[in-house]
Amino acid sequence: MMPPDDANSVSVFALVSSGRHPVSGRAGRAREDARAVEMGLMLAGSALKLAHAGDADDGALRDCLEAYLGMFHGLGDDRPGELSLLPMTTEDDAVAALSEWLANSGARLVLTGQRAECGEGSAMLPYLLAERLGWSVVAGIAAIESVDAGSATLLQALPQGQRRRLDVRLPCLVAVDAVAPAPRQSAFGPARRGSINVVEGIETSPDTARRAWQTQPARARPRRLKVVKSGNARDRFKAAAAKSSASGGQVLSGLTPDQAAEKLIDYLRKEKILREEKTPSISEEASAADQ
Amino acid sequence: MLQTLLPILIFAALIVGAIGALRRVRLWRQGRRSPMVWRRILLIPKRYLNDLHHVVARDKAMAHTHVATAGGFVAAMALAVVVHGFGWRHPILGGLLLAASAAMFVGALAVNRRRVKPPEKLSRGPWQRLSKSLLAYSVGMFLISLPLVGIAPALFGGGVLAVLLIALVAWGVLEMIVGMGWGGPMKHAFAGSLHLAFHRRPERFDDRHPKSIRPSGHQFDQDASHDEHRGSRSTALFPLDLNAEKLGVEKPADFQWEQLLGFDACVQCGRCQAVCPAFAAGQPLNPKKLIQDMVVGMAGGTDSGYAGSGYPGIEVGKHHGASAEPIVPQLVEAETLWACTTCRACVEECPMMIEHVDAIVDMRRFITLERGETPEKGAAAIDNLIATDNPGGLDNASRLDWAADLEIPRIQDRPEGVDVLLWLGDGAFDMRNQRTLRALVKILRAGNVDFAVLGDEERDSGDVARRLGDEATFQRLAERNIATFSRYRFQRIVTADPHSFHVIGREYPAFGGEYVVKHHSTFIAELFDAGRLSVATSEQRETITYHDPCYLGRYNGEFAAPRQVLAALGLDVAEMERSGYRSRCCGGGGGAALSDVPGKARIPDMRMIDVRETGATTVAVACPQCTAMLEGVVEPRPQIKDLAELVADALIEQPTAADDIVSPADSEFFDEVPA
Amino acid sequence: MSIRRIDPHAERMRRNRLHPRHQEFARPAWRWISAEGVTRVNPHLVGAIGPNGIKRIDRSGASVESSSVSASQASAEPSRRQIVIAEPAGYVMVVPELAEGRLSDHDRDLFGLARQLADDRRLAVTAITFQGGVTGLEEAGADRWLDLSASAEDGDYCPEARLAGLERIEASLSPAHWLFADTFPGGGDLGRRLAARLSVPSDGAQGERAATRVWQVADGKSLSRAGDRQDIQRDVPRVLLALPECAEPVSETRHEARPMMVDTGQSGTDAAVDIGIIDRGRVAVDPQQIPLAQAPFILSAGRGIGDWEGYHHAARVLGASEGASRVAVDDGYMPRARQVGATGTFVSASCYIAVGISGAVQHLQGIARCQRVIAINSDPSCDMVKRADLAIIADGDDVLKALCESLGQPKASSQPGEEPLHDAA
Repeated sequence: MMPPDDANSVSVFALVSSGRHPVSGRAGRAREDARAVEMGLMLAGSALKLAHAGDADDGALRDCLEAYLGMFHGLGDDRPGELSLLPMTTEDDAVAALSEWLANSGARLVLTGQRAECGEGSAMLPYLLAERLGWSVVAGIAAIESVDAGSATLLQALPQGQRRRLDVRLPCLVAVDAVAPAPRQSAFGPARRGSINVVEGIETSPDTARRAWQTQPARARPRRLKVVKSGNARDRFKAAAAKSSASGGQVLSGLTPDQAAEKLIDYLRKEKILREEKTPSISEEASAADQ
Repeated sequence: MLQTLLPILIFAALIVGAIGALRRVRLWRQGRRSPMVWRRILLIPKRYLNDLHHVVARDKAMAHTHVATAGGFVAAMALAVVVHGFGWRHPILGGLLLAASAAMFVGALAVNRRRVKPPEKLSRGPWQRLSKSLLAYSVGMFLISLPLVGIAPALFGGGVLAVLLIALVAWGVLEMIVGMGWGGPMKHAFAGSLHLAFHRRPERFDDRHPKSIRPSGHQFDQDASHDEHRGSRSTALFPLDLNAEKLGVEKPADFQWEQLLGFDACVQCGRCQAVCPAFAAGQPLNPKKLIQDMVVGMAGGTDSGYAGSGYPGIEVGKHHGASAEPIVPQLVEAETLWACTTCRACVEECPMMIEHVDAIVDMRRFITLERGETPEKGAAAIDNLIATDNPGGLDNASRLDWAADLEIPRIQDRPEGVDVLLWLGDGAFDMRNQRTLRALVKILRAGNVDFAVLGDEERDSGDVARRLGDEATFQRLAERNIATFSRYRFQRIVTADPHSFHVIGREYPAFGGEYVVKHHSTFIAELFDAGRLSVATSEQRETITYHDPCYLGRYNGEFAAPRQVLAALGLDVAEMERSGYRSRCCGGGGGAALSDVPGKARIPDMRMIDVRETGATTVAVACPQCTAMLEGVVEPRPQIKDLAELVADALIEQPTAADDIVSPADSEFFDEVPA
Repeated sequence: MSIRRIDPHAERMRRNRLHPRHQEFARPAWRWISAEGVTRVNPHLVGAIGPNGIKRIDRSGASVESSSVSASQASAEPSRRQIVIAEPAGYVMVVPELAEGRLSDHDRDLFGLARQLADDRRLAVTAITFQGGVTGLEEAGADRWLDLSASAEDGDYCPEARLAGLERIEASLSPAHWLFADTFPGGGDLGRRLAARLSVPSDGAQGERAATRVWQVADGKSLSRAGDRQDIQRDVPRVLLALPECAEPVSETRHEARPMMVDTGQSGTDAAVDIGIIDRGRVAVDPQQIPLAQAPFILSAGRGIGDWEGYHHAARVLGASEGASRVAVDDGYMPRARQVGATGTFVSASCYIAVGISGAVQHLQGIARCQRVIAINSDPSCDMVKRADLAIIADGDDVLKALCESLGQPKASSQPGEEPLHDAA
C-alpha cells in the first residue's frame, strides 16, 4: 500500500471543493474530489497536500474542508493533513489564484475531481489551470498505476466500464472520474487535527467572464417526444400507436444448435462485438464447408 | 516448630501479597485518572453484601457455595492472623477458627464438585487449581488449629505430619494471599471489592439515585416482578469530550483507571459468555475473553494463559498486548468489537458488575473517530446521518410521506403546546414500521390524546451513530434535536422506538435535554389504566409471546407495561425461557445489523427458535429494529406484531366528537403523572 | 423488414369453433349485423391503446390486426429538402463523437443545435472528423466536412495532436462557433482543451469561457447546467459543449457535407505539437468486474437455462458480463446484483443476449437502452423474441454449448471438478 520511493519524490497535491449532497443539498465532501484525495493518499500517503480556493471566513466551508482532512488516517504515520486555503471571494477567479499558487508550490501531480458539485460546475478548471501553467492535463482517470520522476501511468475510464492506459508527462493535472476507487471514511479525530493554512499574499482577480451570466434554479429538462414528421395523419397515428416492440427483427427458427451458434457468431462478428482474433477451430471450418 | 513457622508464613505471605497488590494498583493507575474519593471504600460491605449478592443469588447454589467459602475464608484468615500470627491462642478464638475453616471446607467441597466436570462457560487452568487450594487451606488450617482447643496436641508436635500440615497451609496461603496480590484467581476478591467501591456507575448500587429513576415513572413499576433492580439502571453511555487529545480507547492505558480495575475483578464465571447472543451465533465475540484480553493488555503479555472459551473462530494464544500498545488488532480483532449488539445481557449477568458495553463502545469510538475504520455499511450510515439526518440517506422531508392521508397534526401549528409529542424515529422511512406507526396514531386518536409530530424537523436520535462510536455525529444530532425541542411546548414525548426512547430519555440529559419520555407500551398501558381505550378482548385463545427489546427492558427496566397491555387485550403470554431482564437480543442493536459480522448462525434465527419453543403463533414486539430482524427470519414462522398493531386491531371504535380532545389542563389523568 | 408471426395452433383453434379452447383465441367481433339487419359496432373493441394511454380508433379502413406492418411503413422517412450553402458567411464547427465510427444520437442532436445557430446567418455547418468514411453527415445536417484523419491517428487518444488540428482551423477559418458533445473522455475533453486554449487570447485579456453541459439554446442565450441544481443562462459563446437532446436533430433537410480542405500552411506545425500524453492502448477488463449498468456486452440468463455451468462457461468464452432475469435470481441461480430489469439494473449494453428469457415487461424496460438485442428462446411467441433484433428459436443450453464449441473452447467434460482447471488454462 505504501507508495514506491520514486513517488515520494513527486509532490502530489489534491484540489478539493465543497460538495453538495444530492438529497439534502448539504455541504460535504464532493464525491469526485474525495476520490481524488483517496487516490492521492494511496500515492503519496500523508505527504499529500490539499488546496482549496475560497472564502476563508465561511464556517460551513471549513467544516467541509475538514472532512477531507479527516481522510488522513491509516497511512502508516500520524502526520496530520494540511490544507492550503487560498482566500478569495466567491466573485473572484479561482483559476488565477490557484495557477499562481501552484506554479510556485513545486507540485508535480495535481489531482482533482472532474466536476465541482456547486458553482459553475463546468469541469473547465483543470484545463484552464493546465493552459496557464503549461502542464499536461488528463480527465476521466480511474486509477494511477505508477509514478516516476518524469511521468505517470494512468488508467482512463471509458464508457461501458472499459479502461485505457495513458502515459502522461509531469507536471500534470489529473481529473478523477466517479468510477475511481471509493474514498475512505472521513474520521473526526484526523479532521480536527488537520490544519487549514490560509495562504497570505495571494492576488485575486475578479472573475469578469461570469458577470454577464444569470444563474437560475435548474429546470427539469423536457423529455423528448417522438415526433413523427409526416403529412399523412394516418401514418402519424400509426407511428404513435404502433408498439415499438413489434419492430422488425430477424427470426431464425428450425436451426440445429450448431447452425444457430454459427448464425449468432456471424452476427456478433458483423456487429464487431466478437473480434476475430481466434483461429477458427476445426468444427467451425467443417460447418463452414457444409454451407 | 509450628509456633515459629506459622507466624513467619502468615506474615511473609501478607507482606508478599501486599507488594503484589501494590504492583496491581500501579497497573490500574496506568489508566486515565479521575478524582479519588477514598471514603468510597466504606461502601464495599453494603455493595458487596447487598447489590453484588443479588446478582450472584440468581444462581442459588452458587450463592450458598460462595457465602460458605468466601465467608469461611475471610473469617479463618482473620482469626489465623490473630491466633497464629500474633499468638493469641485463646480457645474460643480457636473454636471460631475451626468453625470458619469447617465452613470453608464445606464450601470448597461444593466448589470442587462443580469443578469435576466444569460447564463450558467456566475457565479452567488456575481456576481448577483454586478449588484444590481452597480445600488445602481449609483442611490445613482446620487441622493445624485443632491443638488450640486441646484436641490431639501431641500428634502435631513435630515430625512429618507437621511438615505436611505446614505445606498444606502454605499452599493455601500462597494461593489465597500471595495469589490475590500477584494476579492469581483470588485477585477477584481484592480487585472486586475495590471495583465495587470505585465503580464508574455508582447509581447501579442505589435504587433511589436521582439519575436512576426511570423517566416514565409508570405506576406498574411497583409490581414489576421482572425487574430485580428497578431503580438502579444506569445505562446511558458516558459522553466523550470531543476536545480531548485522543478520542476513545486505543491502548489499555486509555481506559479510565476504574475500568481497568473492573477488568481485574472478573472471576471468569462465564455468565456473560452464556448469555451473549453474538457468542451463541458463532460471531467472534466472547465478553469473558474480551475482559481477560483487557487484563492481558493492562499487564502485558499474551493470551496464551487464558483457559476458557475463546472468540468463536479465533484461535486463543495468538494475540498479545501491552498497556501502551494499541488493542486493535494485535490484542483484539476489530470484528470482535463490531459483533457486539450492545444488548447489555453480559452486563446484566455479571456478578462483578463489570461494564463490557462501555469498554466496547470506548474502543469503537477510537476506531471510528480516529481510525475511520467503521465497517462499510456503518460508515455509510454515519455519512448519511451527517448529510441527511437519517441513516438511510433519504430526504428528511419525506419523513411523513406515509401519513399523508392521516392528517397528523404538526407541532409547528400548535404554538400553544400539545400534551404528547409523538417521536416517529427512523422507522418512519420503513414500510413495515409505518404500519406500526399508523396503528399507534389510531390508538392515540381513539384515546383522545392531544398529540403532534415534528415532521421534517425530526432527526435521527443519534443512537446508531453513538453505538458505532461516532460520538461527534451523535452529539451534533443530540444538540440539534434538543434545540428543536426547545422551540416547542409539549408535556411528554412518546415514541414507538425503544432506541430513541433510551437515547432521548437517558442520554440527552447529559447534553441539557431533560424530558419526560415514554415508550408507547408504557403510554398505552396508561391509557388502558385510565379507561380511555376500549378493546374487544380476543375470543380465540391464541398463544402469544412477548420479546423484550433490550433498550426497553434491560436498558430502561420496562418489563411490566407491555405485558400489562397484552393482558388488557385478554391475551395470555407464554413467556420464553429467556425473557424479561434475561431476554435475548434480536441482533439488531448497536449497529450490529450494519456491521454484519459473519457467524455460524443468525441471531434473529436463534431468537425465533426461542419463540417457537413457546408454541406461540404470534410474537409481540415493541421495537422497529426487533420487528425488522425477526421478520427477516424465513417463513414459515410465527407472525410478528407490534404491540400497537395488536391494540389497534382490537380497538372498538367509539364515535367521538372532534372537540372531545382532552387538553392537558383539564385532564385528571395526565395531571397525576409526575412530569 | 417486419415479420407477422402466426401461431398455427392458435390460428387453428380460432377457426375451429368446436375446439374446447376456442374462446381463448377467438377475437370478439367488434362489428356484426344485428337481427334487424343493422350494422352494430362495439366501440370498446375497436382501436388500440396508444403509447400515451389514450385509445385511438383507426378509421382509415386498414384493420387493426395488420398494424405492425403498416407501422414500419409509417416510420419510413419522408423525403427531405436539399439545402446547399454555396458561399457561407462563416462556419459553425461540429466535432461529433463518432463512437464506434458512426454518428450517435448525441451527434445528431449536436448537428441540430449547429443548424439552429447557423441557419439564419448563412453559416455553413462543418463536421470535423478524425476518421474517414463517415456516413450520414448529409442527413445529420453538415454542409461541409473537414476530415482531419491525416493529422491525427485513427482511434488513439491523442487530444494534443487533435487540438493542434483544431487550432489550425481556428487560425484559418475562425469559425463562429465550436460545438462538441460533452462526454468524457471524448468531445468533453477535446472541447475543454480547445476552450482553454482559446480562453487565453494573445492580448492577455481574460477570454470568454466555454458553455458546458448546454442543454438548450434559445433566443441567443444558452442554458447550461451548473453545479448545485443551478442553470446558467448566458449569451451563446463561441465554444459549446452540449448534452444529449440539446436540440432536435435535423429531419426535414438534407445537406451536401461537401469535403473541404483547409490550407493551413503545414510548415512545421506537426513538429510543434508538444505531446505530453501517450496512449498505451486499451486495458483488458474482466467483464464480471464491470458494473452491470455499464457493461457493453451482456449474456443474460432466465428460466430457460438448465445447464448453469454451461452458461457461465459461455459467458467467459464470449467475454460477456453475466445478467439474469428476476426468476433466475429468485430461484437462487444468480446473485441479486446481476438482475436486469426495472426491479434490478437498467442496462445499456451495445449487445444484449437473452437466453431463455421470455421478456416480462419489467425486463424489457430494463433493456430498453440496449442497442442490439439477441434472443435465444424455444418459444417463438414470447415478447423477448418480438423485441429482439435477432431471435433464434432454439434451446438455450444447446445453442450456448454449440457456441462454445464453435469458438474453439468447448466446456470441459461434465465432471465439475475439472472445470476450474480447464478455465484457468
